[in-house]
Amino acid sequence: MDTPEPQVEAPPPKADIAADTIVVTARAAKVMRGQLEKRGTPEGAIRFGIRGGGCTGYSYMFQFEDGDPRGSDTVVEADGGVRVYVDPKSMRLIKGTKIDFETGLRGHGFRFDNPNTSTSCGCGESISF
Amino acid sequence: MGIEDDDGNDTGALFQIEEPVAPMRKTTVPGRGIGIDLGTTHSLVAVAPCGEAPRTLGDADGRALLPSVVSYIGETPDVGWDARAAQLSAPTRVVSSVKRFMGRGTADIEFQHPYRIAALGDGAADVVRLEVGQGRVVTPMEVSARILEVLAARAEEALGETPTGAVITVPAYFDEAQRQATKDAGRIAGLTVYRLLAEPTAAALAYGLDKGGQGLFAVYDLGGGTFDISVLRLRDGVFQVLATGGDSALGGDDFDRAVGEHLLREAGVHTPTVLQREQARVAARDAKETLSTAETVSVQWEGGPALTLTRGQLNAVIGPIAERTAAPCRGALKDAGVRARDLDGVVLVGGSTRTPLVRNLVESIFRRKPLSDIDPDQVVAYGAAIVADELSGYAREGATLLDVAPLSLGLETMGGIVEKIIPRNAAIPIAARQVFTNYSEKQTGMMIHVVQGERELADDCRSLARFDLSGIPRLPPSMARIEITFELDADALLTVTARELMTGVKQTVEVKPTYGLSDEDVDALVIESLDNADEDFARRNLAEARVELGRVVLAVSAALTEVGDVEGILVAEDRAAIVSALADGEAAMAPTGPTEHHEIVAVRERLEHVSEAFARRRMERALLAGMEGMSLSEVENTIAADDTLDAKRGSHEAEQIEKI
Repeated sequence: MDTPEPQVEAPPPKADIAADTIVVTARAAKVMRGQLEKRGTPEGAIRFGIRGGGCTGYSYMFQFEDGDPRGSDTVVEADGGVRVYVDPKSMRLIKGTKIDFETGLRGHGFRFDNPNTSTSCGCGESISF
Repeated sequence: MGIEDDDGNDTGALFQIEEPVAPMRKTTVPGRGIGIDLGTTHSLVAVAPCGEAPRTLGDADGRALLPSVVSYIGETPDVGWDARAAQLSAPTRVVSSVKRFMGRGTADIEFQHPYRIAALGDGAADVVRLEVGQGRVVTPMEVSARILEVLAARAEEALGETPTGAVITVPAYFDEAQRQATKDAGRIAGLTVYRLLAEPTAAALAYGLDKGGQGLFAVYDLGGGTFDISVLRLRDGVFQVLATGGDSALGGDDFDRAVGEHLLREAGVHTPTVLQREQARVAARDAKETLSTAETVSVQWEGGPALTLTRGQLNAVIGPIAERTAAPCRGALKDAGVRARDLDGVVLVGGSTRTPLVRNLVESIFRRKPLSDIDPDQVVAYGAAIVADELSGYAREGATLLDVAPLSLGLETMGGIVEKIIPRNAAIPIAARQVFTNYSEKQTGMMIHVVQGERELADDCRSLARFDLSGIPRLPPSMARIEITFELDADALLTVTARELMTGVKQTVEVKPTYGLSDEDVDALVIESLDNADEDFARRNLAEARVELGRVVLAVSAALTEVGDVEGILVAEDRAAIVSALADGEAAMAPTGPTEHHEIVAVRERLEHVSEAFARRRMERALLAGMEGMSLSEVENTIAADDTLDAKRGSHEAEQIEKI
């Protein structure tokens, strides 16, 4: 079992959420770049956002994006030039989020530390604010 | 399921980068879409990269037309002019007019053709397969794919890059099987088919007729071997085919044959050989083309006498044949319920419409001068190229709203919350479905309210339609399954179907073209949703919290009524606590209740907490009762089925259905 994140990294209170941006750790950026290359679209980007709603709340959207950013998107440039697009509507709900990449017994995957969420469901894929 | 941390800390889920939901859009590169007119006798490819005027692409000799003929005489199939030339020498091994076989079963082939159709194997799908010699058997889709490959290669050379997708035109009357076969041909050729486009619509788009927003048009298409007439309505920038008609055995080739026979008679040849007949036909075709602009032409073929043909003589010969197109035209107008004078334009398609006599005939049928500025052989490919350019991701000026859903389409769910089924900017045609459930066991109907817009609550969206699905069986909350399907077809017509999966009761509504909206309206609605995002989210959260609380209140009250005072399940003390929490819940749901969703959530959690032990005991009893007499495997099956259902119900994202 991997070590749980140290508790000192507790999310900052909502009032402290910085400007409209997100943070991509170097490790996450490296994996994103690798996956984009493996997919044959090294120049592509990643779209990060919130979608849906419905009976169980909101969920994250995290996908490859081949097009240019839309006019209203925020483009976050991570280590090594990987670009992450966030649409303005999602930004309100994910600003201040840190995207990290985790490896361990739970498997490999990206992890979102979103200071805006109030609760997560059991699987962590549905969120509420 | 992941492994929980020992101390119960929620470390959150781990995510993977997904492919975008709309697979059609993932490979688009603006300017790299191609338009293909896959014709019965000829095919063409055109491009209109990044808003440029459309142009067709020629072969090394500059010929834009590619005969739709594939020769299987050699080891590798040969496509085009050489294949056509080889046709007389090996009629069964050179496939022409393969379009007539597309999407047809062996029983559907009632027309004359020189091919040997392979017998169907046991259990094989009823698809026509042609024996082309040396044991080779090909399907019409494969033959068409060979043609598409040649055109795609042409485009790749011209663009300097691989095309990312193609728009292929099909006759307006093509049915689902014929359209699917055409899509399959594209796939076999290695093309991404953005969409199919009706030939008359393509011609109308090439003339920019969509720019007016409204109108009624006729498209008169007289090709080499087929005649098609279509009546289109343009409403809110979307074309709809109102009626089609035609004659699948009437075309310019009939003109050539008749004129050839006339020339042979003039030459005094009364029993022509096959060669003479062919020579006369070719001479007739050339003469006919010259007479499109000249008044007289001299005609001579090898070994034949020098003859003269005037336009008057030509017209006398072909007039009766051309006249046969008039009845289908009038029939199509009648079917469409419009009169010739209601039309806003008539478009000419097909090489045979270059003949002045045909133009005059069209003018007399429709009482207006037809549009003929664009080469009638190329006009359909032009329209396809324009649409392909748009679908490749280039926003052409004044582009029609034909190709993407400009605003999300969704449903109102409990609490007035909007569940988006087809997201904004989804490429159409698109179909998506999602399974919904009932809220209470008293519910025997469901009101389906279809809305359009980006806001979170139905009240703020545009209402498109309402209908009721009745006859839902009485089932405990969350047990009924109602599948809602949204289909937005190529003509932007939305069909919403609601189906209860247990009984199969079904209800459908068609929403007529939804876009009474200008681009500015769409932009304004999107901006409005951004401006109101915070407030919308708060309202949505509140509505969701209320719905959730309502569900729990209902479930707990029902359980209380049901058990009555059954010994051992509920002691008086617990009952009092639950009743009190229930009263709090009902108060919280009243209009005078709290307006912060956190407060409502707290009330719900309290109710859940006090009723938890009761719920567990009830569940155990129900399980015991339910499992009586069931084997272990039956129990497991039941649980597995429930899990599948839960997974389906729990997914809060519409599932896309692969369609055209």
